[in-house]
Amino acid sequence: MSDIHDLNRQIDDLALRLVVGGSEAFAASVSTLVQIRDRGGAESHAHISAAAAVLLDILQAPESDRKTAAVQDAFARLQQAVELDSQERKGGEASPECQSLAQDPELLSDFVVESREHLVAIEAQVLTLERDPGNSEALHSIFRGFHTIKGLAGFLELGEVQILSHEVEAILDRARNSQLTVSALVIDVILESADCLKRWLTHLEAALQGQPSVAPGRDGALLAKVRAISSGSSSGPLAVLAEVVEAGGAKPDGPAGESTSAAAEGSAVDNPASGRRNDSLAIKVDTAKLDSLVDMAGEMVIAESLVRHDPEFQSSRSPRLQRNLAQLTRITAELQKTAMSMRLVPIGPLFRRMARLVRDLSRQFSKQVRLETEGDDIELDRTIVEALSDPLMHMVRNALDHGIESPQERQAAGKSSSARLLLRAQHQAGHVVIEISDDGRGLDRGKIARKAIEKGLIATAEGMSDHDVFSLIFEPGFSTAATVTNVSGRGVGMDVVRRHVEKLRGRIEIRSAANLGSTFLLKLPLTLAIIDGLVVGVGSERYILPLFAVREMFRPGEDAVWTVQGRSEMVLVRDTLLPMVRLYRTFGVKPKSEDPRQSVLIVAESESRRYCLLVDDLIGKQEVVIKSLGETFKNISGIAGGAILGDGRVGLILELDRLFKDRGIDTER
Amino acid sequence: MPSTILSANESATGALSDPRAGKYLTFQLAQEEFGIRVLKVREIMGLQEITAVPQTPGHVKGVINLRGKVVPVIDLRLKFGLDAAEYTQRTCIIVTQVQGESSSVMMGIVVDGVSEVLNLSGAEIEDTPDFGESAGSQYLLGMAKVKGKVKILLDIDRVLSTQELHNLSAALQ
Repeated sequence: MSDIHDLNRQIDDLALRLVVGGSEAFAASVSTLVQIRDRGGAESHAHISAAAAVLLDILQAPESDRKTAAVQDAFARLQQAVELDSQERKGGEASPECQSLAQDPELLSDFVVESREHLVAIEAQVLTLERDPGNSEALHSIFRGFHTIKGLAGFLELGEVQILSHEVEAILDRARNSQLTVSALVIDVILESADCLKRWLTHLEAALQGQPSVAPGRDGALLAKVRAISSGSSSGPLAVLAEVVEAGGAKPDGPAGESTSAAAEGSAVDNPASGRRNDSLAIKVDTAKLDSLVDMAGEMVIAESLVRHDPEFQSSRSPRLQRNLAQLTRITAELQKTAMSMRLVPIGPLFRRMARLVRDLSRQFSKQVRLETEGDDIELDRTIVEALSDPLMHMVRNALDHGIESPQERQAAGKSSSARLLLRAQHQAGHVVIEISDDGRGLDRGKIARKAIEKGLIATAEGMSDHDVFSLIFEPGFSTAATVTNVSGRGVGMDVVRRHVEKLRGRIEIRSAANLGSTFLLKLPLTLAIIDGLVVGVGSERYILPLFAVREMFRPGEDAVWTVQGRSEMVLVRDTLLPMVRLYRTFGVKPKSEDPRQSVLIVAESESRRYCLLVDDLIGKQEVVIKSLGETFKNISGIAGGAILGDGRVGLILELDRLFKDRGIDTER
Repeated sequence: MPSTILSANESATGALSDPRAGKYLTFQLAQEEFGIRVLKVREIMGLQEITAVPQTPGHVKGVINLRGKVVPVIDLRLKFGLDAAEYTQRTCIIVTQVQGESSSVMMGIVVDGVSEVLNLSGAEIEDTPDFGESAGSQYLLGMAKVKGKVKILLDIDRVLSTQELHNLSAALQ
């Protein structure tokens, strides 16, 4: 096994020499290669020696014929061959990393969580550093991050992670000691290393959960780059390295990209102080404990209200008792509020992730974008923030790809060459509104209308409001991009965004003006754990409807209900016929009255379809905490969960779209 | 490693005495006395209002609020195919902790009345006689004879296995 390690080391050396270049290094690498080839042959590693021979052939060809890409390719093959061999040697056994996994999964999962946090912080700080290379505080904080990861990785025997973070740390150390200026290249390499470490973390996590996952393996080229920077003097090798990188086509790094990257970072990281304050005071708590606390707080409110409405208490005239109970009421309300808010996290980190995306994309598209964020400290339910990541990323991509023009176009249109992308979160009437707005070319009404007609979505755009036309981009299969880029334009765009947002019980809106830019507004609830519910009664049962899906409710008149073909019933609501579902029939409950005129109709909307729900009566509106009914009842159609009502009983929350779909099954029978 | 030690311990105690020996909570259902392991019992509560859940088999009475948690409740009489009875002052809900598909879940059972907690030794417990295939003997741990009376010891995990619930609800539809 030792010879494999030896071989690995030799190949790493080789990588370094290849990158550093120069005739001396070249000669040395040729001789190393010959060694590798011969050793490979002698020790019956046929594929290693074959790969080495291929690389040797390329290197020994006349210099003019030599292509950097070919060299890199052949080198990668050689590395793969060695990797493969070392894995075979272990006879299908777990790699060293996996063995240590088995040793202490708990430590490892802690490592993954902690390193993730460090990497997020590192990314934010790197972007700060890029904007302001002299920012020593940011530099120190990046250094500390890598240092911690290195230390932990060493402790857990994660060799590859340790090596990479050690090398990056070495670069940062040189930068700290002013032996190295932080150039765009250095920033790139640090970010790339962070990405590589992220891949490792993903792998570790998968392995911990027992899912099959392939170790990312050693990124030889990256390691070589990192080493070249950390070991070389500040001028010579760096220049060579830059050439290699450019020749390899890894990074188109024009002057536009340079200036963009400097501007890509906005106010998100402007106030590192506030971020740090949050860090130092935060502790990690198991979500099960949090849920239990929320449950208890809810029960306390109910218990308190039971005492308050107790007839014996009401007949009591003692002012002291009244005063004490009023105090208890205040405390319980405060306790419930605090318990609820514990699941909320600020949206800032999500915005900061977008900063990285904007930086990378603005380079890729050669556009100049300045990202600004507002309302970083607005808090949302953790699950919402997580689920928001994809749609937000998609919309930022769209804004950069379609919305924002190239610097030349912008100048021709009389705008500053650098565009502005604003991410803003704010509270609005018990909801959080997230705004993604750019000052690009705006949505093209004519183009959208043409496309929609072409796709058969509409017959004509005449008479449609701008808002309605713009909303067409949320239809499935709609994409106006003339060319398909690897970022957007696959036609799976905005409809997916809308689906995601609606799943979070949110809504999405567009405002746009030609040449002034477009704004997307996401209106989201603060938390998924609580909904505004409409409590309705059917017979002796009570059910809760999510209020956001209720459009109107009324008592039908004489001729409101029509029967179609003797089977399905329709209701005439404002000149529209809507199908009617009798809730008592679906759930098999005995109602107070089967006559619709004695009942209440609720117009519900789900998945942009409307229908009427027939219930006995309305009981009231209540904010309820959604609780799962557990695995026993997980497949009950039409029921989304349960909630504790004001009197301590359980009420069932209706799932409106399933309720409607299963009505179809009923009528077929 | 720890798991192997544990299983070794278990088999050691098993060799010494009947693994079914221990404390049982006994309750009545129609004319019969049943017992379940005390360790499976979380709490005994008087009857409270049960919210019915639609589209479930008849023995599933619905859900109750147990201090903020939603807990399903099953009528054991109906589950065992006995006649339904009026709920009385003696009727109780025994909240048990049973092994679900992925984790342990709480589930309530409605019984006619709770009797006592018995400490049963291995000698008092006998294997279930062979009733043939139909009698649902997979639910039974064994029979206990105490003071001339027979108590039926239930494997509550099996009685309330959620798999069973699903099968029944599928059959119902």
